[in-house]
Amino acid sequence: MTILKRISPHMILLIYVAVVMFPFVFVLFSSLKESNIEIAERPFAFPTSFYFQNYIDAWVKAKINVYFFNSIYLATTSAFTGVLLSAATAYALTRMRFMKVSKVIYQFVLIGMLIPGNVLFIAQYILVMNMGILNTHWALFLPYTAGALPVSVLLIAAFMKSIPGELEEAAIVDGMGAFRLFYKIILPLTLPALVTVFIVNFLGSWNEYLLANFFISKDELKTLPTGMVGFRDAFQTNYALISTGIVYSVTPVLILYAFLQEKIIEGVTAGSVKG
Amino acid sequence: MKQTLRNPWIYLIMVVPTLVLYCLFFIYPMVTSSFYAFTDWNGLSQYKFIGFDNFIAIFRDSDFIHAIGNNMLFIAFAVVVQVPLIIFFAILIANVRRLQRLYKTMVFIPSILSTSVIGILWGFVLHPNIGPVNKLLSLFGVDTIYWLADSAWALPAVLVVNAWQWMGFYIVLVLAAILALPKEMNEAAEIDGASGIQRAWYLTVPLIKPIISVVVMLSIAGAMRVVDIVLVMTQGGPVGATEVMASYLVNEAMGVNPNYGLGTSISLVIFAFALLLTAIYQGTFGRTKE
Repeated sequence: MTILKRISPHMILLIYVAVVMFPFVFVLFSSLKESNIEIAERPFAFPTSFYFQNYIDAWVKAKINVYFFNSIYLATTSAFTGVLLSAATAYALTRMRFMKVSKVIYQFVLIGMLIPGNVLFIAQYILVMNMGILNTHWALFLPYTAGALPVSVLLIAAFMKSIPGELEEAAIVDGMGAFRLFYKIILPLTLPALVTVFIVNFLGSWNEYLLANFFISKDELKTLPTGMVGFRDAFQTNYALISTGIVYSVTPVLILYAFLQEKIIEGVTAGSVKG
Repeated sequence: MKQTLRNPWIYLIMVVPTLVLYCLFFIYPMVTSSFYAFTDWNGLSQYKFIGFDNFIAIFRDSDFIHAIGNNMLFIAFAVVVQVPLIIFFAILIANVRRLQRLYKTMVFIPSILSTSVIGILWGFVLHPNIGPVNKLLSLFGVDTIYWLADSAWALPAVLVVNAWQWMGFYIVLVLAAILALPKEMNEAAEIDGASGIQRAWYLTVPLIKPIISVVVMLSIAGAMRVVDIVLVMTQGGPVGATEVMASYLVNEAMGVNPNYGLGTSISLVIFAFALLLTAIYQGTFGRTKE
């Protein structure tokens, strides 16, 4: 009885974990199978021989490499810019002595969190079109960076508020200017929050679909989420190849997650709850 | 000392870039949305003001009414099916000592992945001929089900995939709240002879009510926003069976004949709905004592 009591939660949880993991294992196996026939006949079986040709085909012929680098490049630059801008703003708002103005600006920026992304999507499309940057990476870089600002400012400002004032007083007495104070003292101290915010923004851009789908139509500029849909539609019947594409687009996030799971969970949940 | 942190130029350099980008991509689109929504602009020709015609047209379109219904189904499914399961799994994970971290890490995975890739992945898993789901069901003598092409099955399939993606995220949220509760009460109840189920129902659930309320709110917001998964898996089809408000917006306004005036009015309607539902929820069930 007691053993059953102790084991049954694990049984239920393991079933749930299996349901969560099953599709991933299935595509991983499928990506190593030579043909649809092998997938169709034994969908649950381990591949008979590892057929790595799919990985080469998908990477080069199907241009997954192009989508992949576009995604890495856009997600990194926009997350980095977003963190830098919000850190600077959070510093000015929380540490510099313009409290009244700062309060107003802070509230003003937080309004952005009330507006759900896809409400602005058509107006942003028109804006991007008028700016003449439709079908360039700017069309994604700017909205991605801007879209992350409200939450980033919120999280970084909350962190900076907790840094004791004595530190900067000492630095100022030593003759440091406001800029040096920012990047020599405050930024290093805020690093944990910056990393969290960077990861959240990176994942947000890496996974974004709606804007990417409508703001970019040139194939060589597409990111993974939209590129993958085009890829699926083009290779509709080659399931092994599609599985390989899925493996390529999921793996970097999983590797990131393997190393930084605590940070990622903390960041993703904090961003949503406070939002 | 005060002087250093009172330099207005430095303050401006630090604040202005953020504000410019923010105004350009949040405030300005919000303002222009409210403006285009009352025009018939299609992106090319001259536009004229047509008052509330766009809004009237939307609400006269039975497809849109159907889409609203589907959004409500997303909310209902989240509240009736997902939330109880989320609480159940969170309590289970909170009460095991071994493998706790592993469970938490594993269930969270789908929520950090791209919805579009998950849509493709599940499209494959649910494939009528070679997908493993039908293969498994055929072992029990179930006939081939066309999950995404059959209008009876498409919406349930999308609802389940959406739940599959997001439940882990909420489980981790609720789990954190449970683990933050003081242990003493639970131990005292255990000594008094309360069973695991009693402790969960009479102690843990009441104590985590605030976070449950947050989960419901986030689910409502998420259900109003849902679009990627629909576009990737079914594009709103078959024959509108899975159409939600945001996919209706995309299909109506961004198709071959764009209609930005109509599109922005739809997005304002979505926004209004989201605010309204959140307000209703907070005014009724979601009210917490604090």
